[in-house]
Amino acid sequence: MNSPTSEFVHTTIELDMSWRYASGDEMERFLNGIAQRLIEAIRCPQCGRRYLPPRPFCGRCRVRMTEWVPVADTGTLVAWTVVHLPIIDGRTGEPRPFPYGMGLIQLDGADTALNHYMATADPELLTIGARVQAVWRDELEGAMDDIMHFEVMP
Amino acid sequence: MTSKMTPETTPETTSRAMTPVAIIGSGQTNHAKERSDVSQPELVREAVDAALQDAEILPEDIDAVIFSNMELFEGRAFPELWVAEGAYGNGKPVFKVATGGTSGTSACIAGFHQAGSGIFDTVLVVGFEKHSEGHTQTGMALVDPFWDRSVASGALGNFALSISQYVSEYMAGRGVTEEHAAQVAVKARRNAANNPHAHLQMPDLTVDEVLASRMLAEPLHLLDMCPQSDGAAAIVVASRDTARKRGKAAAWVHGAATRHDQPYLGDLDRRLVTTRAQRSAAASAYAQAGITKPLRDLDVAEIYEPATYAELAWYEALGFCEDGQAGRLIDDGITQMDGELPVNPSGGVLSTNPVGASGVIRVVEASTQLLGRAERRQVDGARTALATGYGVYAWSDVIVLRSEMP
Repeated sequence: MNSPTSEFVHTTIELDMSWRYASGDEMERFLNGIAQRLIEAIRCPQCGRRYLPPRPFCGRCRVRMTEWVPVADTGTLVAWTVVHLPIIDGRTGEPRPFPYGMGLIQLDGADTALNHYMATADPELLTIGARVQAVWRDELEGAMDDIMHFEVMP
Repeated sequence: MTSKMTPETTPETTSRAMTPVAIIGSGQTNHAKERSDVSQPELVREAVDAALQDAEILPEDIDAVIFSNMELFEGRAFPELWVAEGAYGNGKPVFKVATGGTSGTSACIAGFHQAGSGIFDTVLVVGFEKHSEGHTQTGMALVDPFWDRSVASGALGNFALSISQYVSEYMAGRGVTEEHAAQVAVKARRNAANNPHAHLQMPDLTVDEVLASRMLAEPLHLLDMCPQSDGAAAIVVASRDTARKRGKAAAWVHGAATRHDQPYLGDLDRRLVTTRAQRSAAASAYAQAGITKPLRDLDVAEIYEPATYAELAWYEALGFCEDGQAGRLIDDGITQMDGELPVNPSGGVLSTNPVGASGVIRVVEASTQLLGRAERRQVDGARTALATGYGVYAWSDVIVLRSEMP
């Protein structure tokens, strides 16, 4: 046992890491669509649920999905928050400037909701049920952040 | 959801009541922001020795070891490799469970199944986490690299999103207010002051102080959230025959269920309100244990509440009250130490959260209550206890323990 006065040696390690992930067919098609400002959901042949993000299987019905349906870049805000902390952005490894608004958006034509940033960080402007629209980057790269954030429609 | 064709039902798993098993001993470390006085194996050893001593058994009496841990939170690859000797695992079957916040309760359930299987007589379940040495936020940031990695980093924003839906229902006769949530924070930290193991002990905390604490993500204040702690906890599970032969008091497992649900936050309509996985797990565990009126049938509950609002949502999901009545339950003091069903006498996850250990701590606390060894946090005469786990927003565990053998 160590006496209460003993000093422990701590070691500090710094590490840069990178990852490379395969998308799978469904996400590949979805991202190819995003590169052309086209959002598509995948539909379950059994329950009819239109899934975003698209994925191979409906978890509820346990069946393979193959049918694609178009989804608008407008939708309804179904949840919101304003974050007041420096949370790490998992794509860059850097903390995002705060405060920033976040929302769960149910896009018109989809049955699941998308979590994304909101253009405003003013809680007064964010209400569940608000109509929202995607704000796209000028140069599209086929990634989710081609949509920079959503803004509340006037 | 909006589509008429999409039923809000989960494919149900039928669960049979398992062969009876008992928790014959338990132990935990003192939990703190940083346990820099010990290494990871030493932290584990501390909890394991406490559990073995409580069970009055020796390391050689253990047939198998199950670890609960989230490895990115530790800063080491396969932490169970480095700490297994701390749990006397050499030469024995050693397994690991890692399902976020449910890791600990799921590891306990795995231990129940193993001891009930007839293959092992005595199983040691150990949960541990040393957040101070790992990168919890980095671990939480490694979500779907294509879909929501930028947005979903950290648990906080996602909790807040779910909670905004719960709060929004208040005007419609459901949901809760900031004040209801603040009362949960006060109850937890005051209860923790009676628990020498707890990380955050705040005997004088008030609702006003919770509401005045820093806003982290609307509507979550700093004091609405759990801390990150270093700590470990362990239980010893024995088969029916082994437990009976001892002729000593034990906490018997009467019901246990675990459920998984769809992965993405937006997959479920109003996830915190509908709490599909937890309702399903509770229905199964209650049926196994013959619980029909939880508020009446349970004497004490140790539930996994990473945020104040979650505890209120669980009141409804676990059937402590009708949907929409959670605010009244906390207002009326029903879940206080002197109420009809004390919830989290230990101070809960809101006061102590070494993630891999937190679920095991729920079970340690519940069984300690049944053995009458909870000292200043003891609920008098507790004979039926509930322990739950909650993982990310996709896993739920519900466990019912009694002092009597099934």
